[in-house]
Amino acid sequence: MEKKKAFSAKRNTGTLFTIPVVISLVILCIIIFCAVFAPLIAPYDPVYQDISAAHSGSTEAHILGTDSVGRDLLSRLFYGGRTTIVGGLAIISLSILLGLPIGLFCGYYGGIIDSIFMRICDILLSFPSMLLAFVLVAGFGRGSMNNAIIALGVIYVPGLARLVRSLTLVEKNKIYVEALRSMCYSDLRIMFVHIIPNCISSVIIQLTLDMGYAVLDLAGMSFLGFGVQAPTADWGNMLNEGRGYLMQQPMLAILPGLCIIALVVSLNIFSDGLYRYLEPQQRKLPTFKKYDRMREKALRKAGVKNDE
Amino acid sequence: MFRYVSKRVIQLVIVFFIVSILIFAVVRMTPLDPIASISKGKAMSEETRLALMREYDLDKSWAGQYFSWIGGLFRGDLGKSFQYREAVSDLLSVRYKTSVQLVAMSTVMIVFLAIPLGVISAAHKNSLLDQTLTVTSLVFVSSPPFFTGILLMLLFTMVWPIFPTFGTGSDFWSNMKYLFLPSVSLAAVRIALSMRITRSNMVEQLQAPYIQTATAKGLSRRTIVYKHALKNAAIPIMTVTALDISGMLGGSVLVEKVFSLNGVGSLLADSITKSDYPVTQSITLIMVLVFMLCNLFVDIMYGIIDPRVRLD
Repeated sequence: MEKKKAFSAKRNTGTLFTIPVVISLVILCIIIFCAVFAPLIAPYDPVYQDISAAHSGSTEAHILGTDSVGRDLLSRLFYGGRTTIVGGLAIISLSILLGLPIGLFCGYYGGIIDSIFMRICDILLSFPSMLLAFVLVAGFGRGSMNNAIIALGVIYVPGLARLVRSLTLVEKNKIYVEALRSMCYSDLRIMFVHIIPNCISSVIIQLTLDMGYAVLDLAGMSFLGFGVQAPTADWGNMLNEGRGYLMQQPMLAILPGLCIIALVVSLNIFSDGLYRYLEPQQRKLPTFKKYDRMREKALRKAGVKNDE
Repeated sequence: MFRYVSKRVIQLVIVFFIVSILIFAVVRMTPLDPIASISKGKAMSEETRLALMREYDLDKSWAGQYFSWIGGLFRGDLGKSFQYREAVSDLLSVRYKTSVQLVAMSTVMIVFLAIPLGVISAAHKNSLLDQTLTVTSLVFVSSPPFFTGILLMLLFTMVWPIFPTFGTGSDFWSNMKYLFLPSVSLAAVRIALSMRITRSNMVEQLQAPYIQTATAKGLSRRTIVYKHALKNAAIPIMTVTALDISGMLGGSVLVEKVFSLNGVGSLLADSITKSDYPVTQSITLIMVLVFMLCNLFVDIMYGIIDPRVRLD
């Protein structure tokens, strides 16, 4: 109940649904729809090879044509979206599972645990991030999607942990935490039930942004052959396969690439919109003119012609 | 100032050693047998096996291997590659030029394009130019460097063949031409990112009260933007430029693969594929060191630009 009230109070000054955010949401919904219902809407099996129809351009049977071994490009794009989105989600889930508790404990308790974890974060951050992922993949064994996901998940932990820590440091000195302590609430309850909801908005914004980067990184990994492996459809790895036939059939590489861009651009715009909406200090106050117009509108709606 | 610099240097040395241990340990976690990658999977007698192990230092304990690697690093001896059966330092000495030139060209592009564009778009906030730049940068930020590379390749082979799209030239100047497209695709993401950071910091600075003072004093807009605001926005801009170099070290692996360049990045990708870990660990450590030195340089610059930084 309380939450709803807070949101409706916010709606007076700003809205989440500005035009760019709505467009990005529509694109995201289309991509997610295609990915979720891929088995129902894809015309072919993504790994079914029809050698006789290999390298066909756009025909009636294959709307977007086929690749070098006769797999339907459209179906592979649908299924590739699945792999890409699941991979991206897995990466950020891993980073939040590790980063949130670490940041929370370090910020709340401070002391020696805090300095140990923060030094570890410093060391991980002294790597160029992709390079750390490469080293981890080399260690775990390359060529499996799970290893690539774990490696990429790890590189997002330090940033997230630091963010949560700094937010917790601010929250833990606020009066409500003191009040909760005086009521003998346990530390765990204060942290997970009271502090988290108060800093979750910044974390969510960061996560949507990270999701975009995670998709790009996973595509890069698959492109190098360290991530999703050959027969499985994935946008990054389709790009790599299409690269070999760039001159004959450029669409094989261009379409997966455009799909990646569409997904990441909409994630970025969405994250930006969320930031503007959830971080009140970032929101612009309405100009006097606009405020006047809003007031007039509200009054008209209430049935009052002139309030003076 | 001396205290500040020496503190940073000591920190760097400590972190460098921890990072080297980390890289060494992680790379050795690989489930593949190193002897198999040396012999490329061929069967062999026990004696050959032992001889190979001795040749590649594999008979030593992990600690022994680590110290001979890190000790060799200071003598310029990084061990022997499994797949090429050559000294890693020899492999690198052939290839480093391409990668260094690639990253240097991209850095020049970033500094001379991203920062001026960011400043201009902040100075003309909400103009048509600003909005066009913002939208374009958004697209480039979201485009993986290898895809930008592929598009450039297509464009410059099919439509406008003025730049070569693969391989490298013989000397520095002919390389400029060969490395132009790779460095554009490497820089594109970073230019977009740096431009956005520059813009947002400049916008913030231009709203600060001291800008009003400067305007009231009757200074020209040009002086206000370039002398007053840009100086104050310099620290975040430099931070992001250091991060750009970090991003480009990772990105160069992808771009070198797209353009089939014979550089350090493609060697790294290759070594991971073949689990050639003397090469993997050495290249990673060198790249991390380069990144750390860039950060150190930026830290020192902070101290010079902003005296407050020196105090803590």
